[in-house]
Order: sequence, then structure tokens, then C-alpha cells
Amino acid sequence: MFNLFNKKNENLALIEEMRTRQERWFVFLEKLEARMEEMNTAAVPELQKVFRQDTDPYKRAHIHMLSGLLGQINQMRNKANEVKEENIVCFMQEAEASLPSIISSAGSEYRRKLYTFRMACLDRHNVFEDKINHAISLLQGAAGEQDLESAYQEELAAFERIRDKFSCKQCGGNITIPRMFFIDTYITCPFCQSQNTFSPSTGARMVLHQARSLAEQRTAHLLRSYEASNPKNPDLYRHYLRCMFDEWNKIVPDMVVENEKFYERLINEYNINHHP
Amino acid sequence: MSGNPLLEPIHGITLEDYGAACARLGSGLSEDDVAKALGVELPVWQEANLLWPERMKQDATFHIVTLFGQYFGQADQHPKFSGLKASASPEGAGNIEKIKQDKDFYQELEVARQVAYDYGLDGAQWIVDNYGIPIGDFQIAASLWNDQIHRDIQADYAGYNQRQAAYQAKYQQLFAEKQGGNVADDIEF
Amino acid sequence: MAEEKKRIQAYLEQLKNKVETQENYGGEITNEEARMDIRDCPECGAGRAYHKGLTACAYCGFVFMDTKLTDGVNIRKENNS
Repeated sequence: MFNLFNKKNENLALIEEMRTRQERWFVFLEKLEARMEEMNTAAVPELQKVFRQDTDPYKRAHIHMLSGLLGQINQMRNKANEVKEENIVCFMQEAEASLPSIISSAGSEYRRKLYTFRMACLDRHNVFEDKINHAISLLQGAAGEQDLESAYQEELAAFERIRDKFSCKQCGGNITIPRMFFIDTYITCPFCQSQNTFSPSTGARMVLHQARSLAEQRTAHLLRSYEASNPKNPDLYRHYLRCMFDEWNKIVPDMVVENEKFYERLINEYNINHHP
Repeated sequence: MSGNPLLEPIHGITLEDYGAACARLGSGLSEDDVAKALGVELPVWQEANLLWPERMKQDATFHIVTLFGQYFGQADQHPKFSGLKASASPEGAGNIEKIKQDKDFYQELEVARQVAYDYGLDGAQWIVDNYGIPIGDFQIAASLWNDQIHRDIQADYAGYNQRQAAYQAKYQQLFAEKQGGNVADDIEF
Repeated sequence: MAEEKKRIQAYLEQLKNKVETQENYGGEITNEEARMDIRDCPECGAGRAYHKGLTACAYCGFVFMDTKLTDGVNIRKENNS
């Protein structure tokens, strides 16, 4: 298509084509970036609002909104990749195939020109990719973390309010729930010894689901100091992991035995990978 | 396998029972139904439901979780659950069978489900609304087809990718149309 | 410019509307209060006493649960009848 090298071994059409293609590519990516930024500027406050107003304990409206927005960002990324493949990479290959031999001076000169074109286009694409990644982390971080500590403290208070309010279904005697339960459990009546079944509230059940995340929130500063260490200090990680499990155990004491077995597995694997 | 303490039943509930129970929960059976099928009361079921995942977390060899996946996929054959299914519409029941018989149907819907999420939809709910297939049956189908799909990929990687890309394009277009297009549809090279 | 803004606004509007009104898989999570219940023997009406175990009625032998309890979180193997 561009194999029109004249007698002076020049190909002005190819030079012009590279120039305009590069220009179009840059303009195309700029437009996508501008659209992406515009979308994010408008979307972030809306995303935060949906997160705040979402009463679902799993914040599913927020999750789906975020996923839709990330889908649009990915759609732009794919669009750029397709154009890159069809209009930059394929063009390069065709153009290169049309060049005179590499040992001729025109051959080497035009290969250099093509190389410059290629680097300019790919570098520009890398800048675009950086902006995509930035946009993604902006959306992901927009709502901030769920305040699990407040939710947990509310559940503790709620439990204190109800723990003395139950009576035996057999004899009517008062039953005090001995500690916060997270799943259905049998409770023995202190008067007639009958086995009652206690079903915790939805909120109390959620404490079990969120316990690890809450423990991670409480110890996030320790993980950050490990991540900030340079070179990475494995002792800081071990310290973080131990403290995270301690917090986890404090939140759900019924799970200490199981949690500790899980901890053993994690610390063993970590030690094998970070010896000594 | 025998002698592995991680495989000991929990309150008499074996890993085989547990895998089938989870599949049935995923297909819409209630916790009460599942406990009843296993012959236990809710507090007993809930402890097993708490402790089996703990066993999986403790097992560095992934043996327990692999077996769990197998048992999950074989829920239809489990004697305690074989006659027990959540009520489904006739169309749903047909699709639930089809997804386990027809690999292409499964692969297409798996892509559709994922693309639905990219358009802000609850993909699992979209599948239920349009095909009447609960997520549990979807996961059973996944465990039935995984090996075959793995072999397909090894035999013809390009062909596999091409089919996946075609499904993706189809559903991207469908969901984009429903929402009035993508944000950057007007931007051209 | 105005055209692009409208496009983005329309997109966000429908996305928000969609995520806030669509049914979530598994349904909404209703906040249930804690409650207490009891299961008496359906055969003889007796309650289940702690020291007689959870799996069978101490009076008439009715089987509450045909299973073998092991050491779990709150339930222990001593709870077998």
C-alpha cells in the first residue's frame, strides 16, 4: 500500500501517513482521556452518595454501580486496544514489509523513521494506560472504607440491651444470654434445665461475617508500616499478622480455636517463603 | 485420604453432605429444608456450616476444598437431597437441565453473567430473571464443564478465545443498547 | 461539550436508577431481631433437659436428630443423648 519509493528512494506518502496517523492516534486518546475524566468527575460524588444511602449490609447497590463504572472504563481501554492493533501495529507491519532492504540506506533510514513513529505511539498509549489505572483506583477508593467499627459497637450495645430480656419457653424463668452468639445455639434454662434455641439478630450474625475485615481495619497501620519498610521487613509482617488475629479473636472469641489453626497455616506458609 | 482429621464429619455431617447441602442452598432451598434433609436442627447445621469452611481454610494442600467442589457438583446424586429441589418454573427447570447438558449454553450464559456486572446489573439475578437458573445450579454446571473446557483450551486456544469474544461482543451490545449506549461510543479514531 | 455532559449525565442517571431499584440476588436482607424458641418432644411433650442430651427424648426415646454430635463451637460430643 505504501511501497511507492521513488527514484531518489524517498517515500513521502509514507512519511505523511505516519505523521497523520500519529496525530489521529494522539487526538483519539486525548478524547478518551477527557471523557474518562469527565465521567469520573461526575461519577465520584454520585458513587459516594449511593454508598452512604445504601442500607444493604453488603452495600450491593454501591458494588454494582462501581462495577458498571469500571465496565465503562474498560470499554474505553478495549476501544483503544482495538484501534492500536488495527491502526498502529498492523500499519507498522505492512509499512515495514514495504521498505527496501535493510542494508540499503533508504531501508535503514525508513526503518528508523518507523521506529520513531512506533515508539511515539506506544509511549502515548502507556500514558493512556497510566491514566486508566489512575481512574480505576479513583473510583475504587471513592467511597472510602465501610465504618465497621461503629457497626460493631452498635451491635455490642444492642446485645447489652437485649441479653436479659429472654425467658425459658418451657418454665418462663429468666434467661440471660451468657455472651454474644453469632449463630443459632442451644441455651440451657438455669431453672428447669430445658434446652432453648437462641437465634441471634441479623446484626449479630453480620459481626461474624465482618470480623476479619474489622480486625484488618484495626491493624491497617501495622500492614502499612510493613509495606513502607525498605527492604520489606518480614518481622513487621509477622507482627501485623499476629495483631490482626488477636483483634479477630477479640471480636469473635468463639472462633479462637479455629482462627488459631488458620493462623498457623498462614504463618507457616509465610515463614517458608521468607526464610529466615 | 482416610485418617485425615480434616475429613472427619462435623456433628455427623460429612464433607459429601456439606457439598450437596451448599449446592442446594445455592439453588434456592432454605436453611430449614437443608437441615431437615440432613436430619439435624438449625444450631447443629449452622455449626457445621461454620466449621467446614474453617477446615478448608486450614488445609494448605487444598485437598478439602477440591473434594468439596466435587461433592457440590454431584449434589443431584446425593441420596439425602436427590428428591429435594427448590420449586422452579417449567422454563427454569428446562434451562437448569440444559446448562448441565449443553456446554455452549453454559459458556454463553457464563459470559453473559459477567458482562451484566460490567453494566451495573446483578449478573446472578439477571440469569434468574431471564433463564430461571439459580447460582447453585450455575456452579454445578461450572464444576461439570471445567475439565472439558480446560481440554478445549489446550486443543484449540484460538478457537476458544474467538467463541468467548463473540459471546462478549453479543452481550456487550445487548446491555449497552439497554442503557442507551456506552459513554465513549461517539469517540472514533 | 454540552452534548458530552448530557451523555454522561444520562448514563449516570440510568446507572444509579438501575443499581438502586434492581433486585439483588438472594433478595434484600431483612433485619431480624434475636429470638428464643424451644422444641419439645412431639411424641410425649417433654422438654429437653440439658444433662439428657440433645439428640433423643429422655422420656420416650423419640429421636430429635439422627446424627452423632462432635466437638464443635458451642455443641460438644457430650450433648449426644
